[in-house]
Amino acid sequence: MKHTLRQVFRSGKFVTGFIIFSAILLTVIFYPMIIRDDPLQIIGQGTFFPPGIYVNIADSMSSTRYILNLDDAAAKRIASKLNDADREAIREWLVGAGIPEGDIDIANTESLLGLWVSNYDTTVRIPGMTNADRNYYIRLNRSLDGLLSEEGVTIAATNPDTNALEATGTVELTEYANIREVANVRILPLGTDNFGRDVLTQLVTATGVSLRIGFVAGLIATLIGLVLGLVSGYIGGVVDDVILFITNLFTVIPGFILLVLISFSIGQEQRGAFVIAVVIGLTSWVWTTRAVRAQVISLRNRDHVNLSKLSGHSIAHIIIRDVLPYIASYVIMAFILQISSAILAEAALSILGLGPRTTDVPTLGLMMNWALIYQAHILGKWWAYLPIILVIALIAFSLNLMNTGLDQVFNPALRD
Amino acid sequence: MKGYRRYFANKLIWFFITLVVAFILNFTLPRLMPGDPVAAIVSRMAQGMSNATGVQAIYEQYTELFGINRPIHEQFFIYVSNALRGDFGYSISQYPRTVADVIRSSIFWTIGLQLPAIIVGWILGNALGALAAYRRGTFDRVLLPASLFVSSIPAFGMAVILLVIFGVSLQWLPTSGGYGYDLIPNLSWNFIWSVIVHYQLPFWTLVLITIGGQAIGMRSMSIYELNADYVKYSRFMGIKDNQIVRYVFRNAMLPQITGLALALGTMVFGAVVAEVVFSYPGLGSTILTASLGQDYPLLSATTLIISIMVLVANFSIEIIYGFLDPRIKAAQAD
Amino acid sequence: MGEVILDVRELTTKYVTRFGENVYAVDHVSMEVEEGKSVGIAGESGCGKSTLALSLMGYYFPPLHYTSGDIIISGQKITDMTPDEVRKTILGQEIAYIPQAAMNALNPTQKVIHFIENVFDAHKMGMSSADVRAKAESFFHAVGLPPEVLDRYPVELSGGMKQRTVIAISVILSPQVLIADEPSSALDVTSQKMVIKMLRQLMDKSYIKSMIFITHELPLLYNVVDDIMVMYAGQIVERATAKEVVLTPLHPYSQGLMGSIMVPEAGLRDVKLTAIPGVPPNLKKPPSGCRFAERCKYVRPACTAQAIPLRDVGGGRSYRCILSPEELSEAHAREVYSQHVH
Ligand SMILES: Nc1ncnc2c1ncn2[C@@H]1O[C@H](COP(=O)(O)OP(=O)(O)OP(=O)(O)O)[C@@H](O)[C@H]1O
Ligand SMILES: [Mg+2]
Repeated sequence: MKHTLRQVFRSGKFVTGFIIFSAILLTVIFYPMIIRDDPLQIIGQGTFFPPGIYVNIADSMSSTRYILNLDDAAAKRIASKLNDADREAIREWLVGAGIPEGDIDIANTESLLGLWVSNYDTTVRIPGMTNADRNYYIRLNRSLDGLLSEEGVTIAATNPDTNALEATGTVELTEYANIREVANVRILPLGTDNFGRDVLTQLVTATGVSLRIGFVAGLIATLIGLVLGLVSGYIGGVVDDVILFITNLFTVIPGFILLVLISFSIGQEQRGAFVIAVVIGLTSWVWTTRAVRAQVISLRNRDHVNLSKLSGHSIAHIIIRDVLPYIASYVIMAFILQISSAILAEAALSILGLGPRTTDVPTLGLMMNWALIYQAHILGKWWAYLPIILVIALIAFSLNLMNTGLDQVFNPALRD
Repeated sequence: MKGYRRYFANKLIWFFITLVVAFILNFTLPRLMPGDPVAAIVSRMAQGMSNATGVQAIYEQYTELFGINRPIHEQFFIYVSNALRGDFGYSISQYPRTVADVIRSSIFWTIGLQLPAIIVGWILGNALGALAAYRRGTFDRVLLPASLFVSSIPAFGMAVILLVIFGVSLQWLPTSGGYGYDLIPNLSWNFIWSVIVHYQLPFWTLVLITIGGQAIGMRSMSIYELNADYVKYSRFMGIKDNQIVRYVFRNAMLPQITGLALALGTMVFGAVVAEVVFSYPGLGSTILTASLGQDYPLLSATTLIISIMVLVANFSIEIIYGFLDPRIKAAQAD
Repeated sequence: MGEVILDVRELTTKYVTRFGENVYAVDHVSMEVEEGKSVGIAGESGCGKSTLALSLMGYYFPPLHYTSGDIIISGQKITDMTPDEVRKTILGQEIAYIPQAAMNALNPTQKVIHFIENVFDAHKMGMSSADVRAKAESFFHAVGLPPEVLDRYPVELSGGMKQRTVIAISVILSPQVLIADEPSSALDVTSQKMVIKMLRQLMDKSYIKSMIFITHELPLLYNVVDDIMVMYAGQIVERATAKEVVLTPLHPYSQGLMGSIMVPEAGLRDVKLTAIPGVPPNLKKPPSGCRFAERCKYVRPACTAQAIPLRDVGGGRSYRCILSPEELSEAHAREVYSQHVH
């Protein structure tokens, strides 16, 4: 036993898989202890806020102001407003307006803006320019307005008595707030989803739920498979024929069809995460049954089993003492595979609109489903779908690696 | 020849048994569930809650068509004979279209997409796997973890990734539908080209997914065969390496064919979900429509059709296998 | 004394495992096989018999690697030849091998005749397929197989037929040396005897000139081979005529293997069941002294001090032990006597 374990942990594949899986599991366990936010709380008003650190603007204005004289501040400010495409457009306009190409350096923001400010005129007609282009330049010009100014921004408030706007202060361009002193800062490492919920917190919870679904489904499938396989393989005869017949039937009749049919028929109200897990488990025991049966048949007539039979041990004793230990590795491998395929099945079901119908907990499938429905992938909101795919792939990958590692240890015929 | 004939006969009988069981399951499973959709349809009708145009008609036709008030075994035979005639009643969500009509317009998309994709993926995957087994070493060492990871990406994930790269970022290919939404299906070049362009992303998604699993399977089958006793013996009889490689790959490929038959169900599941990601007008999208529209007649017919498709594919694979593996003939002869 | 066909000098080969460890399963083995002679190799499971057989072929592929030593067959030093030369001119023609698992030695999806054609092709014999067939039929006849077998797939043959098929194919290129590796458990002793008998007949009809027979049933070799080599942990521990090894084994390990041959009736089973206590050493790190020391009844401090050389006692007999032949025979006699008494 100890020896086997040591051998298992010497397999590089198993260890890699084990580390990845443990990392996922530990995150699922410890993240909620540190970040206590409700994963399903809608915090963002709007869809798909990009990942980043969100700083409350009012709080940062009222916090202590520090003057920092940074040389590149202005350049950065401009750069954030004036991207490469805009620069290219400006060059095109200037060339069209008759400025020699050699004078234009689009990398030099200051000279470019200087040229622009002194030459741009809405009334000038550049040959080949469409109306849409014209409007674009007008918009561009407006956004550039004041970009070079060194003046600060004036803050105004409405005077309740006079209803007039009164200046209450200014913010200089050189003033900074220390983010630690701002009362309200929210880090959204993966932004928000279509409902405005924190994607990362939700993802961690969803991973936990999906793992639990995988575990429950895997446990059910493995238990059914183990019992059927043992009974079929050990008892043999008519019982074996019947079980084998049923197993063969469900090997060809696709399990997912039953899964879809049952999930639909249960009705929306009943379709919680746990129920889905049970249904997945009930429709995926075939492989375990086959594997266990084959192993038991090859064990049935081994010497140590015969010896045990001759010594008059009960069937239960023989199965537990002389059969189970020899098929344990297969059962564990089957279980591991079931977990990962159940997680995939849940996700696939959800995308078909047949996943858990619940507003209490997220699952990886449901998150993916919402991301697809709100077209996160088409809109380029990678944080709403990519992490989910990655987590599913990593879970499946790590479990597969562990399985391959175990297989190598237990079936040395398949060296490497 | 006698051996083959017996093998065919066996497989044919087995095919019919599975077909009958598929019918029975498709009929009984929903009726056994706590949310029994058939009962739901009937009770909604009885309450007279549905007086919107069409809905009433559906319910009436449904009771008629499926003989809901008759004993259950009669209902089953009515269901089977209707199904065999291709009569599945009206679709609830797309009234006044019939279920048969909805399925007819989607089934060929699914077959046209999945059949070639799975075949191409299977061939490429086996070639790659064989190569990886033959050239162990670095080639194999890099390829194996990579393909293990790639094959861990679920079909819908692969679909989304390809869609984002080639459809959204590079804008080389359209992201959804089976053809341009502004086109009416006809035989013009314009339409055919649009179909071809829309075909690419779903097709390559399925091919990639299939390749991953097949390559890994073929690799370990080949390695297993390379360690077989006959390889050692052939070597010591002076047989050339490339000849031995031919023995090995032929023998490793045979279980891959059986493996394909067994994995077909899972593959089709993945493919169906990938269709949804691409809004491909196939049976996957039909399942989505049916589940969103609580359209039991449509869902039940779609699952039945998919089962039959998988069973037929399975049967065909086994027939082909019978021709390829001499052991089948030998085993049946005695 | 016949001409020496196979001459092996200090051959060492190793397995390289997945984890990069070396397993020296054949360690400085020297042997000679003369024309018309049969040699038996005996030893417990895992002592390196099959590895020695594979190493003698001179054609190495992972995980087995050649390390040092020479193999000379009919005057050709095959350890100096390129693998492709060995494949084309030596394998099957000079030295042939019947694997331990003859049951699985044939490609299951190929007709027997097609494999035979491949064998002839591989050696560029330039024979027409009709000639190949005629030749195959005559060889199959020699091992008692009907010609129909040629057109069957291996799965269509019974175990015994497969065994004969493999034997017939192995000798079809008339090799000088045939190595038969017998499984420890798969076949029962009677069937092993059948195989040996058939090989002897082939040798008598001069289809082959000499043979090496590998088994872990040392007593089985009595009466069927001329010489016996006893292997332990990758080394030869005793070499003598069959009669000498079986009746008066010198090395304590040979004595252990022989168990109860001196007491044919009484308590035969008991003695055989007790076998030799302990397990062979791990070949990744073999002991530096006598490899059998920790299982040996007569062990003394000097045994583990340094490597024990093979001692030649004349008459082609040699053994690897620090005790003298007299001490060993005496100890053996005492041992047998005490077992007999209990
Ligand atoms: N492919 C391999 N890689 C590493 N070590 C090996 C390999 N094959 C065999 N060995 C080791 O080499 C040693 C000799 O094995 P070998 O098969 O030659 O034994 P044997 O004497 O033929 O046993 P048996 O009677 O069971 O056939 C054993 O210790 C075994 O563990
Ligand atoms: Mg051996």
